[in-house]
Amino acid sequence: MAGRAQIPSKNSALIAMIADEDTVTGFLLAGVGNVDLRRKTNYLVVDSKTTVKAIEDAFKEFTAKEDIAIVLISQYVANMIRFLVDSYNKPVPAILEIPSKDHPYDPAHDSVLSRVKYLFSAESVASGRR
Amino acid sequence: MEGQDQTRGDEAQQEKQKQEAEDENVLQFLDSADTFLTLMDSLSSTLRQGWLELASARHSMGASRISSALFDLKLHSAATSLQVTQHDVGSMVKRPHFTLHKWSFPDDETCCSEEAKFNEDKLQKNANSPQLRHRGTSQFSELLEKSPTSDGSSLKIDNQIQKERSKSLSMFGTLVSPKLRAAQLSFETALETLIVIANMRSSMISAFDQIQKEMEDIKQ
Repeated sequence: MAGRAQIPSKNSALIAMIADEDTVTGFLLAGVGNVDLRRKTNYLVVDSKTTVKAIEDAFKEFTAKEDIAIVLISQYVANMIRFLVDSYNKPVPAILEIPSKDHPYDPAHDSVLSRVKYLFSAESVASGRR
Repeated sequence: MEGQDQTRGDEAQQEKQKQEAEDENVLQFLDSADTFLTLMDSLSSTLRQGWLELASARHSMGASRISSALFDLKLHSAATSLQVTQHDVGSMVKRPHFTLHKWSFPDDETCCSEEAKFNEDKLQKNANSPQLRHRGTSQFSELLEKSPTSDGSSLKIDNQIQKERSKSLSMFGTLVSPKLRAAQLSFETALETLIVIANMRSSMISAFDQIQKEMEDIKQ
């Protein structure tokens, strides 16, 4: 992922979010909300009615946009599209898996940590932090 | 004879430098991974606080006054954004570095880069020693007050930040619960932590890639 490819500098890059309503509300209060000319937002609120296809489409859209530098995704939502998240390997936008109210963060499922864990014991990543 | 000794000496020196570089990569990886996990714990606590404050605000204001139906869908730019720059690790490896720009803060390079670095260092130190936050300010505002700028400019910047905060809160009405303001500060702190996490993640991946490359070279 970190490699020889040039990383273009960006000013005013956005933070995208794929998370539950409360998490999105909180970060919108912190000023990260953006609505463009086509009325497209930089977030997707995930609830019980949101389909996996909609989440996949949002993930693909946010990771393809050049003005987005970080994508925040609740870990339980990332688990629904785990194959897509794990196969993503570009340095920007960075994908950060975050906890949600009902689903605490699990390092064992984190896309980056699960890739690097073989460098040390797999047990120490998951159990050492509890 | 002397030439052979010198060549052996040079080779030993190169081998030693290579070993030191490998050790440095391993240390960087372990350090980044440890800080990443510690900051994720800190983020979890901050988010829990934010969700609790949001729930309290919803309880006092009413569920219909804080819902996704009220999100601003008119054309507007994000008040809080990021700057992405390229960080060169050695001569070949490049990785991204993220800097948070909050509340349309003036893009004064000296101001922002010094404070961002100061902020990042402080958050990394706080990763091992969590402190109580002062009510009414986020960690960023506290650092702003302590940063080496004149009193006049700090006050002006602080006023501007408060205006931006109020504008963001106005999505949910003119009169909002103090809990909603507290939730806003919690999520601002969470955002600051997330940017440090993003940089740690980037450092960890970079070190991991270097180590993997060294392991492949050894196998060959």
